[in-house]
Amino acid sequence: MEAKRRPRGALESEVMAALWAAGKPLSPADVQATLGGGLAYNTVQTILIRLMDKELVRRAAQGRGHIYWPVLDAATTAADRMRAALDARPDRQAVLQQFAAGLGAEDAEVLRALLDERTS
Amino acid sequence: MTYAVYLPLILPALLAVAARRAGDRLGPRNGAVGLTLAGICAAAATVWALALLALTLFDDLPSMSARAPGLPEPVPDWVALTAAAAIILAAGSAVQDLHQRRSPVRLLRSDQAAAGDVVMAADDEPLAVALPGRPGRILLTTGMVRLLGPRERSAVLAHERAHLTHRHHLLMATAGAAAAINPLLRPVRDSVAYLIERWADEEAATELGDRDLVARAVAKAALATTDRTPALGVHGGVVVRRVRALRCPPRPVTGRTMAALVVTAATAVAAAIIATSDFVVLLHTWLVA
Repeated sequence: MEAKRRPRGALESEVMAALWAAGKPLSPADVQATLGGGLAYNTVQTILIRLMDKELVRRAAQGRGHIYWPVLDAATTAADRMRAALDARPDRQAVLQQFAAGLGAEDAEVLRALLDERTS
Repeated sequence: MTYAVYLPLILPALLAVAARRAGDRLGPRNGAVGLTLAGICAAAATVWALALLALTLFDDLPSMSARAPGLPEPVPDWVALTAAAAIILAAGSAVQDLHQRRSPVRLLRSDQAAAGDVVMAADDEPLAVALPGRPGRILLTTGMVRLLGPRERSAVLAHERAHLTHRHHLLMATAGAAAAINPLLRPVRDSVAYLIERWADEEAATELGDRDLVARAVAKAALATTDRTPALGVHGGVVVRRVRALRCPPRPVTGRTMAALVVTAATAVAAAIIATSDFVVLLHTWLVA
C-alpha cells in the first residue's frame, strides 16, 4: 500500500532526522535518496533552506551545489534539558509516555524471536 | 445508612479485573476512552461516598448534640473520621499525580526552533516523546534516529503525532488521577496507558500502510533501551503485547464488554445515589429531631 502524501511540517522533521541519522554532511540529492517516497529535488532543497533559516542546519559549498549538516548547539541545549528533566526521575516510565522502553530480559527474548520470525 | 455507601469504594476492584480483558476486546480507541470514563465515574463515586461518610460527623457538632442529644448515629465515628482523612489523602495524591505528569513535559518543551514539529536532542539514549501543548512537539534523540531506518523513523513520528492529535495526555491524566483517588483503579490506569500506545501504533500503521514496519520500529526501540532503563515488568510486557497485536490484529468484540464496563461504572454511581438518598433521610431525622 502506498503511504499517504506527507504534509510540509512532517517533511521538515523527516529531513532533519535524516541529517542527524547520517552523521555526515548530505547533499540535497543524498537526502532525496534517503527519504525516497517520490520527493522532488526542489522540495528537498526548499526544506533544507527553511531549516537553515531556522538556524537548525548549516551548509557549505561543494562542487556545484551545497552540503548540509545539522547544527549541534540547539540539539545540545535540548539534550541538557532532557537530562535535567529525566535523570531526576527514577519513575519516569510512570509519568512520561515514551515510545517504547524498559524491557525485562525475558521480554527481550520474546521480542527478538518475534523480529526473527518477521525477517526470515 | 446502608451498605450502599460502601459499594462505590469497592466496585472499582471489579472494574480493575475487567480492565485488561476489556482493553483487548474493545479495541484501542473504544477501550481507552471507555476505561477512562468508567474510571473517572468510579473515582467520583468513591469521593462522594467518602464525603457522605465524613458528613455523618455532622451530628457531633456541639450545637447539634446540645439541641437534640441521642440523635441516630448511622456509622461509627472512627469510620467517618477515616473517610475524612481518606478524602484529603485522595485529593492530595490526585494533585500530585497531575503535577508529576505535567512537570517533565513542561521542562522538556523548549522555545527553540523546531524542524516541523520535531525538536532534536543530541543524546545517545533512544528516546521519542510527545510533548503536548500549543503547538505540540515531538522530542527525538539522535540515538533514536540513528537506530532506525528512514521508514521506521516515519513510523515513530506518526505514532507520536497520533498522541498529540488525539490528545492522549488528557486521557492519561484523567486515568492517572482516578487511580490516585482510588488505588483499586491502578490496573485501569495501566490498561489505559497500554491502549493509548496501541491506538497510536494503529494510527501509524494506517498512515504508513504497513503494520510490520511499525512493529519493527517498536521492537527495535524497546530492545535498544533494554540495558539502559531499569526493567519494569509491566511495561516490558506491554511492548511485547503491542508487537504481537501489530502482527496479528485482535478482532475487537465490542458489545458485551462495553456493556460490562457501563454496568460496573453505573452500579458505582447508582450506589452513590442510593447512599445519598439514605443520607438525606438521615439529615431529615437530625434536623426535625
